[in-house]
Amino acid sequence: MRYKILTVDDSKTVRIIVRKAFKSYDCEILEAGNGVEGLAIAAKDSPDLILLDVTMPVMDGVEMLTKLKADPQLKAIPVIMLTAEGGRDNVLKIAKIGVRDYLVKPFKEEALIEKAGRVIDLKPLSEQPTKAKSIFDPADILIVEDKPAIVQQIQEGLKHTPWKFHGVSTQGEALDYCAKTPPDLVLMSLSLPEEAAFTLFRVMRTNVKTKYTPIFALVVKTEVGQQQQAQTVGFSALITKPIEISELESKIAKAMNLDTSQRYFALEPGFLVMRLPENCSPSVLAEVANYLKPKFSEAVDAGHTRMVIDIHQLKTLHMGVIKLLLQTMQTCRELTLQFALVGNHQIVTECKGFEDTRNWQFYDSIDDAKANLGKATAAPQLATA
Amino acid sequence: MPTAAEITEPLVREYITRAVRDVFKTMLGRDSAFVGAVVQPEDDGMSPPHPGPATGMIPFVVGTVGFLGDVNGLIYLYLDEPFARLCTCHLLGMTETELEEAGDEVINDAIGELTNMTVGGFKNGLCDAGFPCKLTIPSILRGSNFSIEPVSSATRHTYNYESAGHKIVADILLKIGD
Repeated sequence: MRYKILTVDDSKTVRIIVRKAFKSYDCEILEAGNGVEGLAIAAKDSPDLILLDVTMPVMDGVEMLTKLKADPQLKAIPVIMLTAEGGRDNVLKIAKIGVRDYLVKPFKEEALIEKAGRVIDLKPLSEQPTKAKSIFDPADILIVEDKPAIVQQIQEGLKHTPWKFHGVSTQGEALDYCAKTPPDLVLMSLSLPEEAAFTLFRVMRTNVKTKYTPIFALVVKTEVGQQQQAQTVGFSALITKPIEISELESKIAKAMNLDTSQRYFALEPGFLVMRLPENCSPSVLAEVANYLKPKFSEAVDAGHTRMVIDIHQLKTLHMGVIKLLLQTMQTCRELTLQFALVGNHQIVTECKGFEDTRNWQFYDSIDDAKANLGKATAAPQLATA
Repeated sequence: MPTAAEITEPLVREYITRAVRDVFKTMLGRDSAFVGAVVQPEDDGMSPPHPGPATGMIPFVVGTVGFLGDVNGLIYLYLDEPFARLCTCHLLGMTETELEEAGDEVINDAIGELTNMTVGGFKNGLCDAGFPCKLTIPSILRGSNFSIEPVSSATRHTYNYESAGHKIVADILLKIGD
């Protein structure tokens, strides 16, 4: 839903500043130069929020507010006063007419966004160029953890990623960091003193800049009560300590909605290549399976007729991997794609032990597989399972 | 009920200095430092107000906003034209070229709003001190080599500030209601 915000101010400067402040959020800004225009636009467009000045020609803000609140059709529209009229008595008098909030000029754009964000569910525009889109894009991840060893473990374990990790140990430091550079994701330890993590979580969820930021709870595996509490309040995911780094990486990628397909699939000249990593956990297998259909479509659309399935990094074969490979081969047959397998000695040996895999033929390298698939144009049965 | 005598020059100085500092810091990210004042002599309601700031040949943009109530007055905020342009560009996120295309009207509006905020800050101090009053709509004076003469019954205080090499002058004319 695209929210409508009406700014009523005789100063074009203020209306431009308001427009500038909200430009990164999914909302439409309507403008009026005085109370009469403001009431007319409010009646016509039913804005979700009105930002109202006091001192204006034709009709001032107090009169407009009084008329607005007396109109049954308009009285429910929330109003935030944005005015240089800020004496205590003035504020109290206007507040009694019925305003949701009061912001005295001069004001910071962030303060305006924060107050508006408390009234309407402001969402940042999705086409933000700074947001990561694929696993090869940089992202800022904030770790709120008072134990340096954990911060170090995460930084060390995920140093192969393009993500930058910033560690802080207190609630105050975390809020300062978020105010300056809203992170793409937050890892928050539930073991901070005095349940600070839950307080911080609530504060971040009320701030428009971090309202939709994924926040993971870092919690000791045996702390079942804390885990339940974290789920109840709405943490995006739980990461149990001791931390399983590959699981953390996978969950981060999922929470940031990153395209991880390039980790497993590549469209090379003439070939679709699928690579399985050393350890194929259930989450990795599920991820690969999800990409199968779109990647096959992409390859076929691009005119590819050959595929290399590279499992030479795989340490050991198990049923999950076998199922995925059978599914892949079956899709190849349905699409009349020729395919070849690349494996290591261990995997080739293990394949002999299963009924479904004992006849699989492997090449030692991708180059060998590609070369033989090239020849197979004349002899298509060569590389079938 | 507070008396007019309670609005002393140090109080006026405190309110206006705070207002100038807050507006330039919050809206423009600029520090401003108090560099001097020309104030009406104490206990001297009879002598005419001192002459206001002289602009000389440099073009100035001067914003004016009044306040009416238990205390009446006007505040003129003087900015030399290059500084007024700089402030407008910053406030509106415009380049100098865009500002050139947009014309003087945009500068007038921006300086009018900066003056409105500054006088608002000053006036809110008076309100909280027990002198309720309301703001008027801003207006703008432009030009060089001019001076503003008030009526003789007003008290005049002029405060000078500096912000990154630019001069800001707040010229205050006060009339305390009977």
